[in-house]
Amino acid sequence: MAVTGMTRTNGLKKALPLLLPAYGWLTLAIFLPLSAMVYFSLLTTMSSTTPSLTLANYAAFFSDPLYAVLLLRSVKLALLVMMICVVIGFPAAYVLAKIFKGRAREAIFLIVILPFWSNSLVRVFSWSMVLREGGILDVVLNAILPFKVSVDLMYSYPAVVIGLVHSYLPYMVLTCYLSLQAIDDALIDAARSLGASRTTILRRVIAPLALPGVLAGSALIFIPVIGSFMEPRILGGRGGTLYGTVIEDQFTAVYNWPLGAALSFILLAVVLAILLAAAPVLRKAA
Amino acid sequence: MIRASAFLPGLGRFYIGLVLAFLYLPLVIMAAMSFNASPFYQLPFESTTHWYVALANDDGLIAATFNSLKIAILTTAIATVLGTAASLGLFRYEFTGKRLLQALIVPPIAIPWLISGTAMLIFFFGTGIGRGLHAILLGHVALALPYVIIVVSARLQTFSRDLEDAAASLGASAWQTTWKVTLPLIAPGVIAGGLFAFAVSFDQFVVSYFLATPGQTTLPVEIYAAIRKGFTPEINAVSTIIIVFSMSLMLVVSRFFRFGGDH
Amino acid sequence: MARVEVQNVQRAFGDHKAVDDVSITFEDGGFYALLGPSGSGKTTLLRMIAGFEFPDSGSIRIDGAAVETVPANKRRIGMVFQNYALFPHMSVAANVAFGLEVSGQKGKDVRRAVSEVLDLVQLGDFGKRRPHQLSGGQRQRVALARAIVTKPRVLLLDEPLSALDKALRTTMQGELKRIQREVGVTTIFVTHDQDEALSIADQIGILKDGRIVQSGAPEEIYDRPNSEFAATFLGDANILDGTVVEGRLRLDNGAVVALPLDSTQTSGRMRCAIRPERVRLAVRNAGGRAEPGATVVWGTVRRRLFSGSFSRYAVDCGGSELQAIAQRGATRDLAIGTEVELSWDRRDLIALS
Repeated sequence: MAVTGMTRTNGLKKALPLLLPAYGWLTLAIFLPLSAMVYFSLLTTMSSTTPSLTLANYAAFFSDPLYAVLLLRSVKLALLVMMICVVIGFPAAYVLAKIFKGRAREAIFLIVILPFWSNSLVRVFSWSMVLREGGILDVVLNAILPFKVSVDLMYSYPAVVIGLVHSYLPYMVLTCYLSLQAIDDALIDAARSLGASRTTILRRVIAPLALPGVLAGSALIFIPVIGSFMEPRILGGRGGTLYGTVIEDQFTAVYNWPLGAALSFILLAVVLAILLAAAPVLRKAA
Repeated sequence: MIRASAFLPGLGRFYIGLVLAFLYLPLVIMAAMSFNASPFYQLPFESTTHWYVALANDDGLIAATFNSLKIAILTTAIATVLGTAASLGLFRYEFTGKRLLQALIVPPIAIPWLISGTAMLIFFFGTGIGRGLHAILLGHVALALPYVIIVVSARLQTFSRDLEDAAASLGASAWQTTWKVTLPLIAPGVIAGGLFAFAVSFDQFVVSYFLATPGQTTLPVEIYAAIRKGFTPEINAVSTIIIVFSMSLMLVVSRFFRFGGDH
Repeated sequence: MARVEVQNVQRAFGDHKAVDDVSITFEDGGFYALLGPSGSGKTTLLRMIAGFEFPDSGSIRIDGAAVETVPANKRRIGMVFQNYALFPHMSVAANVAFGLEVSGQKGKDVRRAVSEVLDLVQLGDFGKRRPHQLSGGQRQRVALARAIVTKPRVLLLDEPLSALDKALRTTMQGELKRIQREVGVTTIFVTHDQDEALSIADQIGILKDGRIVQSGAPEEIYDRPNSEFAATFLGDANILDGTVVEGRLRLDNGAVVALPLDSTQTSGRMRCAIRPERVRLAVRNAGGRAEPGATVVWGTVRRRLFSGSFSRYAVDCGGSELQAIAQRGATRDLAIGTEVELSWDRRDLIALS
């Protein structure tokens, strides 16, 4: 019988000692700072002497097209990285979940997600060894090819994309694997017994059932990439100016925190808008 | 199907091999370069341990490494305890506003770290909490807490409330029930949550970056500064050590805990 | 050992009254079954006695002391859960020792108590096993051992046998009864299975919609149910509706039968019940004569359900159907379509309120 008792209804008093430390901490370190950022984004100046409220920082975003261009660039980059991760990661997860068996599967799965726990900065940095002129890719290609090529992808947009895909691919493999693994093989056999072809099975059975994993992975990739600034700085050089790097500059170089706060808040609004727009799909998948 | 069944697995294995090569080759090359004598990463390869020796004398990097470890360990301890307690609170009791509290777990994960980091910078600066290691710890725990709560709560879904009732009927106090029954049974979830917390903190660059001060910094922040100044194989050496350290830690742990498994 | 008194206890979940003004006393050492369909409030009542739920109003006393606000771990009760709730990370012995250890007992005393109680449930050699290495029946015994080793004042069982197959359930019913007698603890047993309640309990309380509709000894409730619900939920019953006319009962199908023996009603509508096994069947005009005092109704056999030692007949009597059970051997099997006469002793006819 599904009965819940008084120990469990109106149990806030008993739950509070357990909940308060964690939620207090989150309030202090996340929720209050976010509120403070909204307030700060409305200030004219950082100096605490005579700050007054203004919308000038938001106006700055709309008056200088550069910000919008960079924001669009960041959104496009995030979508591109996300899509490449789906294209590479989903088949990998599929092979892992449906072709490998037993211990081999566990071992390879572990190896695929192991880079998670290496430092993301280090992973990005490692690409500079590969991509720069005189780097490994350059040397290897010149050793193989009969003619002379000069490969210098370092400090370019493709380098940023490669580095980001490398950083976030394991997320996609992980989430797709978890949802693919949950698909009962009997469903695939059932579809096969009904005469469905391999592509039909993939399209009509596997893809819909694996959709939650793909979407979860996409969100886990899209959100950090849209605000990325470290990867573009290291691998992008001049080509790596993005919305994230502009925000970083406001806080670490230009010291225009109110503008930085406004730009951050606009980014947050864009992320929320995109998540809300995707909400119907997400809800359907869940 | 029978014709394809021999071919596809072979293709699949080859594909996995490619993906693994993509994931690991840069790391292998970077590690190899830490043993190469040329400060400009020139080939041919000439073996040396010079960069590791140089690293051993780099007080700044060593201090930053210890800061990173200290903060990761503290974050793991605090986030695991607070997160597990919160999960138990959400699991055991019904009250109005519970769904709101559960929903509040999402923002810290769903908001780009760039935004959380800059928001913390503004707030900590404005309230006098200031920047430095204490601020970094404050931030890391907040970022790690949602992961712990999610993982432990997922584990609690497999835990039967009857077990807590049974313990109570046998005279166990709430405290005894928690320690002798609940925690031992959700331990895999708690350990997994702790691992996430450690990974979030030890790998954390963005938030640390905004909250660090010159004397009080973590390893990723220090590496970032070094990379932007112009890199030397010393960075390869320290990166190699980090990778070997974190990956071995995970390998050891994974022997005790199967990912996503219920063992 | 203890007497449990429940007085005017109410418990609502939102608008739903799970337990609605229940009063019942469980005497010291008795074996009680709370019987009812799901949603009848029997589990909520049990959980309030255990201390997992608390009444909105009313009182619960154990040994005369009010306990309705005392939490479960202070009530000194023992409980066996539907799915046993054995601690999967502990051995059988550790499970059984748990209650002793949390109360501060240690060492030799605990070990002796554990091995005694495991012997009592015939699992003496299983102390080192883990719960998942045991069969359902063995887990059941461990759960019982764990609940009684602390010498609880009351033993509560929440549908403890429902997860077992039928043969094992019968064995365990006997076992439970034996162990309860040996230990002598006041026992309250929740079940939705009428056969289980009948065979195991000294006293039965039937619940419906949060209220106790009847309580008493199994034979008493079975032979003298006070309502259609009690009559049909505990065993099978033919329900007969009719009108009292001139000291006889005219059934709605036209037959006229004798009033129940204890009826004092002289007019108006009346509802009665007769147990199928109390209905005698004979081929019509076979020459056999109904016993004096018996009531006769004629009908046609519609269906026969063969159950080995007996057969169950559905007989059409002028539009309404009556069930009758006939021991094979005592009567010869009747084919479908056979014209029969049904008779019963008026003492077996039960007037329902």
